[in-house]
Amino acid sequence: MNIEQTVKRAMSDVAQLSDCQLIETIEPDTLLLQSGLDSLGYAMLVAQLEEELGIDPFTELAITVYPATFAEFVAVYAQGLEQKRD
Amino acid sequence: MSEYVVVTGASRGLGLAICRDILDSGMSVVALSRTYSTELQKLVASKPELCHFVEADLADLEHIPALCKSIVKTFGRPYGLVNNAAVGHDGVLATMPNGVIDSLMRLNVQSPMLLSKYLLRSMLLNRKGRVINISSIIAKTGFNGLSVYAASKAALEGFSKSLAREVGKAGITVNCVAPGYMQTDMTGDLQGEKLASIKRRSPLGKLASVEDAAAMVSFLLSDKGSAITGTVMTVDAGSTA
Ligand SMILES: NC(=O)c1ccc[n+]([C@@H]2O[C@H](COP(=O)([O-])OP(=O)(O)OC[C@H]3O[C@@H](n4cnc5c(N)ncnc54)[C@H](OP(=O)(O)O)[C@@H]3O)[C@@H](O)[C@H]2O)c1
Repeated sequence: MNIEQTVKRAMSDVAQLSDCQLIETIEPDTLLLQSGLDSLGYAMLVAQLEEELGIDPFTELAITVYPATFAEFVAVYAQGLEQKRD
Repeated sequence: MSEYVVVTGASRGLGLAICRDILDSGMSVVALSRTYSTELQKLVASKPELCHFVEADLADLEHIPALCKSIVKTFGRPYGLVNNAAVGHDGVLATMPNGVIDSLMRLNVQSPMLLSKYLLRSMLLNRKGRVINISSIIAKTGFNGLSVYAASKAALEGFSKSLAREVGKAGITVNCVAPGYMQTDMTGDLQGEKLASIKRRSPLGKLASVEDAAAMVSFLLSDKGSAITGTVMTVDAGSTA
């Protein structure tokens, strides 16, 4: 599974856990906070991905602005995974 | 391991009493402090499957994310967190070294915030959990020479109330326990007439003990405490009545 699919799957897991309804299709420029997840759901997504991938790229890369769109979010994880490999 | 609670400042005083009480209730404990005291070693030896010590200097904020990550990796998702470690440096503000103010705020305020931040994540995924911050009656009453310490405890109380609102719908409760004067290393200097007068003025004619405060922590951790969040539970033998 590539990172984009992993994030999408994690989003639906988290939505289910927190009784949120995700929108039908998530596009690269979909705003995460308009995907059906609320801010706590967003936090749960970060927690879920940390368990699955073993990284918290926001802490590890000291990213201070949390990304707004799905594509930006995926890019941060791609960068985090890259760094882990190095 | 059974459901476990992370307890900070577990080597002595109230933290040690909290660990003891949690273990008696059948839950597990991950005990954090800088030193592995003889008392804590004895406690771990008495329940080696349930009680684990992790050495940590919690004033070292940079290392808290990695510490939390390794706790979750080793022990799984925590059920609860008790932020108990603190320092109680006293002194007149006008002559208190700036470095002391800084280190006190780091350990008493920022460290609990970061531990909560990183350990809450597991609780969010579990849809249940408990965060208990150890405050003090000084947060609200005022005491000569404790202005910075008092500010740190008032900060924890404000933090707890808003965090309770934030994570309530994920089934997580956040509360403070505010003990009155207890006889521990922290209050070792408080003796003689001053100590006697605190005892005399309390409605119950005595001080609350670390066991009394630990019992409140256990209550909040239990199922019976599930409807209590965003509040401060005072355990002071009535001193502030
Ligand atoms: N005693 C009282 O009358 C009283 C009253 C109201 C509230 N409280 C509160 O109750 C809590 C416990 O107090 P206490 O009386 O039990 O204090 P204590 O006897 O001085 O114990 C403090 C604990 O915190 C740990 N600690 C200190 N600095 C640390 C650091 N940098 N990193 C990790 N752990 C550290 C100590 O372990 P190491 O030294 O091994 O690291 C020790 O286990 C505190 O939050 C205090 O503010 C106490």
